Amino acid sequence: MKKRNLVKVRNLDRLFDVSKPLLNRIIEREERKILRAVDDVSIDIEEGETFALVGESGSGKSTVAKMVVGLLPPTKGSIEIDGIDLSDKSKIKELRKLRSEIQMIFQDPFASLNPRWRVEKIIAEPIRAFKLEKNEKAVIAKVAELLTLVGLDPSDGRKFPHEFSGGQRQRICIARALASKPKFIVCDEPTSALDVSVQAQILNLMKDLQDEFSLTFLFISHDLSVVRHMANRIGVMYLGRIVEISNSKDLFENPKHPYTKMLLDAIPDLEMSGKERNPIEGEIPNPIDPPKGCTFHPRCPFVNERCRKEIPMPIEKDGSIITCHGVEEGRIGK
Amino acid sequence: MSEILLKIKDLIVEFPTRRGLLRAVDKVSFEISKGEVLGIVGESGAGKSLTGAAIIGLLEPPGRIGGGEIIFDGQRIDNLSDEQMRPLRGKRIAMIFQDPLTSLNPLYRIGEQLIETIQTHLSMDNKQARTRAIELLDEVGIPAPQTRIDAYPHQFSGGMRQRVVIALALAGEPDLIIADEPTTALDVSVQAQIISLLKNLCKERGTAIMLITHDMGVIAETADRMAVMYSGQIAEIGKTYDLIRNPKHPYSVGLMGSIPAIKGDVKRLVQIPGSMPRLNDIPQGCSFNPRCGKAFKPCYKKRSPLIEVGNSSVACWLYDEEYKGAKAK
Repeated sequence: MKKRNLVKVRNLDRLFDVSKPLLNRIIEREERKILRAVDDVSIDIEEGETFALVGESGSGKSTVAKMVVGLLPPTKGSIEIDGIDLSDKSKIKELRKLRSEIQMIFQDPFASLNPRWRVEKIIAEPIRAFKLEKNEKAVIAKVAELLTLVGLDPSDGRKFPHEFSGGQRQRICIARALASKPKFIVCDEPTSALDVSVQAQILNLMKDLQDEFSLTFLFISHDLSVVRHMANRIGVMYLGRIVEISNSKDLFENPKHPYTKMLLDAIPDLEMSGKERNPIEGEIPNPIDPPKGCTFHPRCPFVNERCRKEIPMPIEKDGSIITCHGVEEGRIGK
Repeated sequence: MSEILLKIKDLIVEFPTRRGLLRAVDKVSFEISKGEVLGIVGESGAGKSLTGAAIIGLLEPPGRIGGGEIIFDGQRIDNLSDEQMRPLRGKRIAMIFQDPLTSLNPLYRIGEQLIETIQTHLSMDNKQARTRAIELLDEVGIPAPQTRIDAYPHQFSGGMRQRVVIALALAGEPDLIIADEPTTALDVSVQAQIISLLKNLCKERGTAIMLITHDMGVIAETADRMAVMYSGQIAEIGKTYDLIRNPKHPYSVGLMGSIPAIKGDVKRLVQIPGSMPRLNDIPQGCSFNPRCGKAFKPCYKKRSPLIEVGNSSVACWLYDEEYKGAKAK
């Protein structure tokens, strides 16, 4: 049974101009410097599923998240949510309604709450902005309901954010995200700043809420075990490009792209099986001056001439989407 | 087991405040043998970093050692003056900090920083020290050390900077390295490189490491023994293998269960309700009792001493002979 795609991202590009000021460029005879943070990314997210993006820092996963919620305009490509193109200016009315259905949870619960606002005002903001409740009384009742929903006490609404611990603050962020009755929530490293035991509480809460409100999540994380726990499908990013999209189970049991294999190999072994790991070579290259051809080739053990020259295109194989010459030619993954 | 290098007995770290003394580390005792890797895990605020800082004498005032003993290689070091501590610090006990960017001086080339450290601890002239610095950089896996030695910290990536910091720690050829979250700021693939580097270097040189981290996976990969800390106390200490496979203290059990598993099917995570108590609000008896599903009478009265169970020691009344068979209420 194939569900409807709620989010369709097509050939998304995002460039950042990181050049020096004009005068410096003239004096030092330098060219403009362009950083390609996101390069030709296409994703489909089904209704009700959790799609995760993983990758090391600088791989462009947060930039994708920001573009999907509309915090950053894409340089090229299209984002369609619930059948509406985010850049379609002719549908202002539909877009305004759509925006209330997209929410975001940020990484740092210390920076994403206004320290001068009481919690009740923070959570009520989306309700008031989108005029979702008729009168003030209903707004207050709704805030209390949301606080209870995320495991806090309604009386906590009178407090300020600094009175809460990191985990509780992330609960407030979740309550705020739920306030506008969203369909789609983008979670950018929601638990990276938390301790494991608190992380477990937040992850459980997010799963419960997803079941209750049939939410769709785009989940961004660098922690592979968290992603394995949360996601139905996973996209692996490297230097702005998606190298593999697979079902969560397939990805962990049978990774196909050499970078995915390397990432999985790097997870510390909690089972203590004592297996020897393949040593990992190198680090993520400078995105201002990425390697030619496949960007992963300097670190790839299966590299050949073609990888150094030609950029691989995504191909479908056993239900996964892989961007690798080696897999395409059948050299890797036999 | 081999000779004991570091012995800590009933260490207390406290902070005087307007509302009385706050105990951040409360009677912690453990030993580290020569060449051993001891992992210390716990959530933020459990007192792991303070224990490390107390050993090397880098507690930030008003924090101070409020009691107990730290014995390093047969010598008591907790009551030494700064002057007396100096030959030990960096030379025999070195420290690696979490953030490799802030632990290097951005205005000096890494070579200058390395040479300065080497000459402080070993009597070498400039040329010898420079050769030694290049050797060290080579050992920690920095490519082309002859040219990279004249680079500034900002010219290195995070992983490379952490390698430089490790080289700095190794400069005095210490017996003990206190590594405080050495891989927390790094990506997984780089983290794996740094872990195996640390592990190999210590195996070759016989250096002991006290590895402080909140990442259980890192401990599982590196440590021989590990201690679980909770609100300033050791909840459980034992062989890493035993502790991970078969945790005994209810807190360790909860901690292990809350880590999402890579293998096996996805189920609900075990969650410990609530959060760690604040320092000014530590409950009477066992500090874990408000969150513990197995708490019973004695837990609310007195804190349990470390009780030996199998190969581990556990601070939990459940394992006390007197209360054997006592039911959870």
